Order: sequence, then C-alpha cells, then structure tokens
Amino acid sequence: MGENPADSVSRRSFVKYSGAAGVTGALAGCSSNGGDGGDGGDGSDGSDGSDGSDGSDGSDGGDAPDEVIIGSNHPLSGALSNTGERMDEAVRLAAMMKNESGGIESLDGAELSVISGDNEGAQELGGEVAQELIDDGASVLTGCYSSPVTSAATRTSENAGVPFVISVSVANSILRETQLNYAYRPQPPADQMAIDHARLLADTIRNAGEEIETAGLFYIDISFGQSIRDALREELPANDIEIVAETAYEPGDTADTQVTSLRDADPDAVIATTYRSGTIELVNAMDNQDYRPDYLTGCSNAAMNDISALEEMGDTVEGGFATNFALDPTSDRAGEVRSRFESEFDSGFDANVAMTYAATEVIIAAIEEAGSADPEDINDALGAITVEDHIAAMPPITFADNGENENALAPLFQIQDLEDRVVAPEEFAETDVQF
Amino acid sequence: MLSSFLPDACCREAAAVALASAPDVPASAPDVPASAADALGGLAALAGAFDALGTQAVLGVSLPSPTIFAQYFVFAVLLGGIYGLVALGLTMIFGVMDVINFAHGALMVVAMYAVLVFSDATGLSPFFAIPFAVLLLFVVGVLIYRSTIAPIIDAPQENQLIVTFGVLLILISAVEMVFGSDPQQLGLDLGSLEISGVFVPQGQLYALVIALVALAGTWLFLQRTMLGRAIRGTADNRDGAQYVGIDVPRIDALTFGIGAALAGLAGGVIPLFQSFTPALGDQYLINAFVVVVLGGLGSFPGAFVGGLIIGFIQVFGSAYLGGSTYQIVIFLAFILVLLVKPEGLLGGSADE
Repeated sequence: MGENPADSVSRRSFVKYSGAAGVTGALAGCSSNGGDGGDGGDGSDGSDGSDGSDGSDGSDGGDAPDEVIIGSNHPLSGALSNTGERMDEAVRLAAMMKNESGGIESLDGAELSVISGDNEGAQELGGEVAQELIDDGASVLTGCYSSPVTSAATRTSENAGVPFVISVSVANSILRETQLNYAYRPQPPADQMAIDHARLLADTIRNAGEEIETAGLFYIDISFGQSIRDALREELPANDIEIVAETAYEPGDTADTQVTSLRDADPDAVIATTYRSGTIELVNAMDNQDYRPDYLTGCSNAAMNDISALEEMGDTVEGGFATNFALDPTSDRAGEVRSRFESEFDSGFDANVAMTYAATEVIIAAIEEAGSADPEDINDALGAITVEDHIAAMPPITFADNGENENALAPLFQIQDLEDRVVAPEEFAETDVQF
Repeated sequence: MLSSFLPDACCREAAAVALASAPDVPASAPDVPASAADALGGLAALAGAFDALGTQAVLGVSLPSPTIFAQYFVFAVLLGGIYGLVALGLTMIFGVMDVINFAHGALMVVAMYAVLVFSDATGLSPFFAIPFAVLLLFVVGVLIYRSTIAPIIDAPQENQLIVTFGVLLILISAVEMVFGSDPQQLGLDLGSLEISGVFVPQGQLYALVIALVALAGTWLFLQRTMLGRAIRGTADNRDGAQYVGIDVPRIDALTFGIGAALAGLAGGVIPLFQSFTPALGDQYLINAFVVVVLGGLGSFPGAFVGGLIIGFIQVFGSAYLGGSTYQIVIFLAFILVLLVKPEGLLGGSADE
C-alpha cells in the first residue's frame, strides 16, 4: 500500500472516517452515558421555561373524568433498559394498587392509566418522548433515570405546562440551571447525597469509637460523578475528613491505574461514585493489587445497593458503607410493595425502582389533592403538597420553590452478609453498624 | 506495508517484561525469576534516581515512589498490548481491502459473549472458549463479507463504511436483545503476580502473551505461506494481483475473516480481566482507530507501537493529569503524528 499513489487518498479517508467514528462514538457516549448505569450528566440547559399557563390537556370542569393519565418516560431499550423497564413497572404498579383500592377518591373513583414512552437513555429523545406523552393525553409525567434525558424532558414539559415529577436523576443542574415551575424531584440530588454521606459516614464511624481522617475519591468522569465529587470536596472537609486523592474513571476502562494512585495516597476511606460496572472494576483492581482501605464506601453508587452486584464483588465489599436513596426498611407497607412488585414482575426491587414508586406515590397524592386531571391543578397541588405516607426512607416529601424536596435524605447503608442494611440515621436504621 | 513486519524495540521490551513475568510463576517474590525482579527493580531504581536528582524541587512535580512508578509502567505495557491486539484486525482489513470496518468493535463484543456462553455451557475454562470464539468470528466475518461487503467492494469507500456501521448496529442490538445490557463477567479469579511490591494481574498478562503470539502467528502466516503472500500481493496492488492469477475476491473474504477472527481474539481475551457490556467494543474501537493511524495504516508492528503509546499516555496521564485529560493528550499525539509523519510512525517506508 505504501508507495501506491492512491495511498495518500486512502490514508486521508481513513483519518476522515476515523474522525467520524470518534464523533459518532462520542455522541453515542454522551447519549447513553457510556453504556451502563443510569444517571449522570447535566444535560442541556433548556431555553426559556415559559409558564405554560394554558394547561390545555386533561379534562377539567364539569364531570369528573373517568381516568387520569400518567406518562412514564424511561429507557425501555438500550444500555439502560434493564433498570428503566423496572422503573416503568414501578409506575404501573403504583397506579395498579391505587386502582385496586378504589381509584382517585376525589374524582369519584377515576382510574389511573399509565402510558409509557421509550427514551432509550438518549438525551435527544427525552423531550421528544415527553411531548408524545403529553400529546397522548398525559396529565402529569415522570422519568427519566439519566440526568441529561431528564433535563431535556423537564424543559419540554415546562413549555407545555404539564407537571413533571422526576423518578430518578441526581444531577443538581436539572432544577438549578433554570427556574422551572412544573418540575419536582423527591429524591436527594447530588449535593444532598454528598452532605448526607459525609455527615452520616463520619458520625457513624466516630460514634463507634473508630477513626476516619482522610478519603480518596473514585468517580466516573461525567457530570453525574463530577457533581458528587464537587459536593464531596466541600462536605468532607466540613466533617474533618481530608481528601488526599481524586481519581477519575472512564466507562469501559479497568480501574488499575486509579487503584494504584489510591494505594499510593493511602486514605482511610475510598469513596466510589460510579455505576455498577465501574464499582466492579474498582473491586477487581483492589483484589489484583491486594489493596484494602479501612473503609470502602459508595456515594450515589448503584452497585452497593444491588444484591447481585454485591454477590459478584464478594468479601471485598463486606463491611463497606454506601449512601443512596432507599426503601424504608422500617415500614411494613414498603415491604408489602416490594413483595408485590417481585411477584407481579418477577424482577428485583432495587433503590431506583423504590424511588420511582415513591415518586409515583407523590403524583397520585397530588392528583387526589387536586381533585382534577387538569395539569395546572395538579401542578398547584404538587407545589403545596406534603406526602407523609410513602415508601422511601426519608421524612415527609414536600417541595421548595425550586422543586427540590425540602426533606430529601440519603440514608447510610452498611454491607452486612453481602446485603445492604440501613444503619443511619437512627429513625430508619434496621440494624446496628458492625466493625 | 504488511510485508515490512519486524519486531520493534518496544515489542521486544514488552515481550521481555511479559516473559519475565511468566504466568506460571507463583505469587511470592522469592520464587519469581531473577530477570523479572531485576527488570522491575531496574524501573524502580530509575524512578528513584530521578527523585534523587531533585525533580520535585525543580519541576514542582511530586514523583511517585519507585514501586508505584514501576506499577504504572507495568499497567501501561499491559494496556498497550491490548490496544495493539484490538487494532491488529482493523489495520489488516484496511491494509488489504481499503475497508474501514466500523463493525470491528461489535465483532469483539460477539466474541466476548461467545466466550461467556461457551464456558457456561461446557463448564470448561474460558481459555478453551477463546479458540472457539476466534473460529466463530472467522466464519461470521466471511459471512458478513460475502453478504454485505462483496457486492459493493468496488463502490466508493463511503458505501462500505455505512454498511459496516449497519452491521455494527445489528450485531450490538442482537447481543443486547439476547443478553441485556447489564455488565457480565466470567467470575475468574486469576489473581496477580507480586514482584518487589509490583502487581501483575494474570488476566492482563495472559492477554498480552496471547496478543504477542497472535502477532507472531499472523506475521508467520503472511510471510511464510502462499496464501499470506497472496494477501500481501493483493494489499500492494489489487489489479496486479488479479493479473498474476490471484483470486482477489477470495483473498478479500479470507482477509475479512482473519480480521474478524483477530477481533474475536481481542474480544475473547478481554473477559479474562474485565467485565463487559455490549457497549464495550465501541469504547475500545475509538482508541483503536487512533492506534492504527499512529502506528501506520496496515502496519502490524505499527499497531503495537501505537498501542503502547496510547497505553502509556492513558496510564500516566490518568495518574498525573487529573480527570480524563489524558484523552486530550491522546488526540494531541494523534494530530502531531499526522502533521509530522502523516504516514504513521512505522508506515510508508521506501522499501515496501
């Protein structure tokens, strides 16, 4: 090939198409968050956020409607579909159980109906699917798992004047970049995760007479991980924990280099903020280098709340800590919902699914409170609502002006016998911490 | 360029490290061959010497301990070898057929899951599954060529590019439908060798050894067999090859099959040390494109040199530059090579 005159053309073509490959790959990476896990990213900043005062959808006035439609916007195909499908099922189960108990009381027993849209975990589909659901008659929306997708979907719903209750999405920017009047988030966002992690971890360890003075961060290098990292940079020193190492992880890589850097810095705690595969790679690399920090912890780390992932990682994670939203382990009703879900759909009821169910409970409470299927009325109800009876391990859910839950809480788990058990705060603890 | 294969200095160095850390050596340091311990000890001493020169004071850069430096070095070589292996099939298909195979990463993914299925179904070690994956991917490669590439082999390059992109989508979607998108791993616990405080994960070590064997085997095939000579002849001049009686369409099919088999080998060894998802192939593919251009299009040794360069940039960049800055450095190196030596580091020499 070398001396052939056509080679320079071929070479140029290769570089050109390699560039195209790179761009395609980068776009794919952006849209699907690198192929695994679910959250992250700050997404688009949206545009205006008009007040959407018309609220044209839904059926208002006169007779009570026969049904109220909830739009579920989740990744039902693609890399995030395993969790996305279960989140969609959680929305359906919440509606199903409400219907079984007589429907919406304030609407003379109107039934809840769920329509689903598949956003494929792709940012560009978040808004499109939201619009389709609105066009199909949804009075209120929920979604989307991946933060960039949620960011796009909430902007669309804002423009349409239809309320959107986020099921799971952690990036602060979704509700902070622009004032949104129709978006609400029951779960703790990134900064709250970090606040709870730093405080509960430090208190729990020190109250047990142990020490923690330094930490090393291992985070996925997309906006989800960066949000948590930035918040931990503030919250850990505030709790007298010095950050001695920060290591970024790219999806698809091994964690060998990162673990070597952590080994070199020798922190008391390694705090991992990644998706499932990133945490598994971290543990594999720790095993390969025979490295054990005093505490292995996860902040907004799905793998540490996933029984199958914990079993896969084995003894290395035993005794580790994690902070995430959770099913309330002290609530009998939460246990019943979990059993019902597992028997109904034959799949696992993990933290993401539990939080989605809780978000749907908020939607249902707002419809009940509004006594209307009109999006504007439901939005007014959401703005003023306090939901005490929900299955998440947090105090009553009520929203601030920016749509964030004022009482959002991420409890602290400890891995005991390869199960995630809530150990703090005390009101939600199901067992004592062990060292 | 395929005819210009010679083991280069970097490969010899990588081989020395790999051979020095032979996989059957027990983990305890006293039992490790003296040459391996010496090699890593030498690295550690080098790092120590830089430290003694007061680099920290002069540059304001905190050098790692000698052991940590040696650890990074080992990881860079291991990673570079894998990138080289991933780029091997890509560079071969382009070198002979001028086809940019977008489906290369997807073929790797098929191999990863083939290894998983084979070892689950038979209960045999995944090492036995790797040859199965290579054979399977050879057949898949030939089928893909016959059904999609051959009909448009003389069409403009864009057509083949789009077709391989379509194949990528079909393969990845099929894998996702069958296996889902959750990360999978083989559950191997191969452990590590420890040499003077430096750990060498055996999974990656085996992968590097397999990569080097593949490199040597492919080279021998191309140099010492009639079929290999026909492939090289076709790579040099397709029209000329046809005039002297070489069945070029058959050579194309064989080349695509071998390229796919090499993708199968790369995909087959990755589960030895890493969890995998249907998206993993594309993540390797992006860097493989860079490796091919860095090393020289169609050059096997170039693929390994390029792989090692990317491996070193990724490991040391990840350790010292913070975040994912190393990716910027990778693409800066890519641009630099295009500006200074556009034919690639080992590409386009006069004796081809």
